[in-house]
Amino acid sequence: MYADNIYSEHGQLRRPLAWSLGLHVAFAAFVVLYSVFVNGIRGSGWGSGGGGDAMGATLVSAVPLPANPTETTNVVATESKGLAKSQPTVQEKEPEAIPIPDKNTKTRIKPAPVKTATERRPQPEQPQSNQIPYGEGGPVNGPYTMSAGGAKGGFGFTGSGGDFGSRYSWYVQAVQRKVTENWLKYEVDPRITEASRVYLTFDIGRDGHASNIQIEQPSNVPSLNQSALRALQRIDTFGPLPPDYSGSKVSVEFWFDFKR
Amino acid sequence: MSISARPIRDRALITVALLILLVAAASAQDWIRTGTGLGVERVRLAAADFQSSTADARNADLLKTFNTVLWSDLDNAGIFDLVSRSFYPLQQPGQPSDINFSAWNSPPPNTSMLAFGNLGIASGKVTLQGWLYDVKNEKSPQVLGKQYNDNATPDAVRVIAHRFADEIIFRLGGGVAGIAESKIYFVSERTGHKEVWMMDYDGANQQQVTHLGSISLSPRISPDGSRLAFSSINKGGWEIMMYSFDLNRMISFPRFGGMNLSPSFSPEGKIAFSSSRNGYPNIFVVDASGGNSKRLTDDKGPDVSPTWNRKTGSQIAFVSGRTGLPQIYTMESDGTNLQRITDQGYAVSPNWSPNGQFLTFSWMRKYGPGEPGSNDLYLMDIASKQWVQLTHDAGRNDFPCWSPDGRHIVFQSHRSGRDQIWSMLADGTNVKQLTFDGANSQPNWSWK
Repeated sequence: MYADNIYSEHGQLRRPLAWSLGLHVAFAAFVVLYSVFVNGIRGSGWGSGGGGDAMGATLVSAVPLPANPTETTNVVATESKGLAKSQPTVQEKEPEAIPIPDKNTKTRIKPAPVKTATERRPQPEQPQSNQIPYGEGGPVNGPYTMSAGGAKGGFGFTGSGGDFGSRYSWYVQAVQRKVTENWLKYEVDPRITEASRVYLTFDIGRDGHASNIQIEQPSNVPSLNQSALRALQRIDTFGPLPPDYSGSKVSVEFWFDFKR
Repeated sequence: MSISARPIRDRALITVALLILLVAAASAQDWIRTGTGLGVERVRLAAADFQSSTADARNADLLKTFNTVLWSDLDNAGIFDLVSRSFYPLQQPGQPSDINFSAWNSPPPNTSMLAFGNLGIASGKVTLQGWLYDVKNEKSPQVLGKQYNDNATPDAVRVIAHRFADEIIFRLGGGVAGIAESKIYFVSERTGHKEVWMMDYDGANQQQVTHLGSISLSPRISPDGSRLAFSSINKGGWEIMMYSFDLNRMISFPRFGGMNLSPSFSPEGKIAFSSSRNGYPNIFVVDASGGNSKRLTDDKGPDVSPTWNRKTGSQIAFVSGRTGLPQIYTMESDGTNLQRITDQGYAVSPNWSPNGQFLTFSWMRKYGPGEPGSNDLYLMDIASKQWVQLTHDAGRNDFPCWSPDGRHIVFQSHRSGRDQIWSMLADGTNVKQLTFDGANSQPNWSWK
């Protein structure tokens, strides 16, 4: 029964097959006609036509290059910047856009700053670092805080009974070096930048110890007087007096100049 | 009568005048007038090679040793501007009569002082004559004249050179004794154990002191140089040990129990150290024999590494971790007036200068993650708290210790790739390596 149904549909396929055949024939005819008419109008197709002549090539070195405009004796390298130097491009600045005014924005008037009492108060100073830069510490055996900048002086000897200064100048220099090394300038009032000279007198005994330390002429800065006194008091010994020196002691007048 | 009286009166007047003059001359004294700001410059000194005074063939070797050691001592002193040998005249003096003053006191040498002399061996003994001349002062140039006699050995000549250098430094350095004969004590593990060793200040003559075969640390020499205190581990733990240089052996010292570390002698001979006998490491003081123990600190934070003010003996600086990282504190020798000296970082190993003005210590100013600080040596003026950095970009530096003259600092540094003993001037210059064998650490300079 099923086979009957299948074979009974034979008659129904005949019309679609006829339509299909007709359309295929029509499409083939269209393609043939299109190629004939369209290509006939455009002319020659791809690959048709002659090859043309060969192009001649010449070496670049044969082209005369422009001469160096500046002559130089420099044999190492040319100082010419070359002709092909690129010019810097000029950056054109875009005009600033004008903002569109907004109807709704409110202009707020800034109040003028009013100085308050707390602002007028002097601010506490930042504590200074107590580091001394490397190499600025002073002499090897001395206080690492002194600097001789600005200080001036001179020295001379008077020998009422002898010639200690001229005979033993090395001892005088040792005394001077030692007092200067033991003078701590930070003991002077930090507000002081300059002070008048302070004169001290003291005796050096045969064993090198200082005695009778006195201020002969004080400075106008008491702290400078004190620092000068302390410098002398800090020294244990200047070293024994030269053995061939006949005197029992040497008197020294030492002055301290202070300037920051 | 008036005719005879006049000559008598005249004679009396003359006598009185003469007496006044005599008294005036007797009471007269020399005056020096000088002041600051005249330039604190180093003494310009030339050290001519000593000459041979006898025809002995062995003179040459001894002269070489002497000249090398003398030059090194004077160069290390830190107070001389030593004139280069290339500037010296060809004729070098061996006797005062040989000196051509103008050749030395004018350029190129342009020196103020000249050290010279001669050396000779006769009948197995060496005789050395040395002078120091102020060549700018031709009228009375001699500052120093010395003669030495000893066995004709290199070691004896080395000692003579040290003594002559110390004489020069003493005269020209304002009465501060030189350090050429001082000793440095340190810990070395070159034998496989950490033992205490000693050497000359320039690294020569290294000798082993202890032979305990355990671990010995922080050697400290007594002010008179007769005893050496250190901490060593034994069956009972870390104890303070004592070595006598008079007897050349260990001597008994009380055992305190707990952990006892880092002894330190005061100028009077007392010993401060860190002891945990009561639970926490605190600073204790005992007398020279170990008796009369007194506790100075009583906090929980570990307190270690005490060091006395070497000038006064009335203050002690030490390291404490009571606030976290170790910091340096000072206190009176009875434990009062505690003050913190360092304000940040990691500060250890304080050591007080002989003049009592400065502390030197090892400080890692930046410490912690993200702050790679370096372990450097610093020097602080105790009165003003101003400080200066002495070492820069040179490995780990620790255990600084002052020389007796206060012009040098010996320390331990890892800058050569291994812990070794180095020395430098107290301003951070003239750095020299003293030890090369094995690993060496924790130096301590003798008091004189």
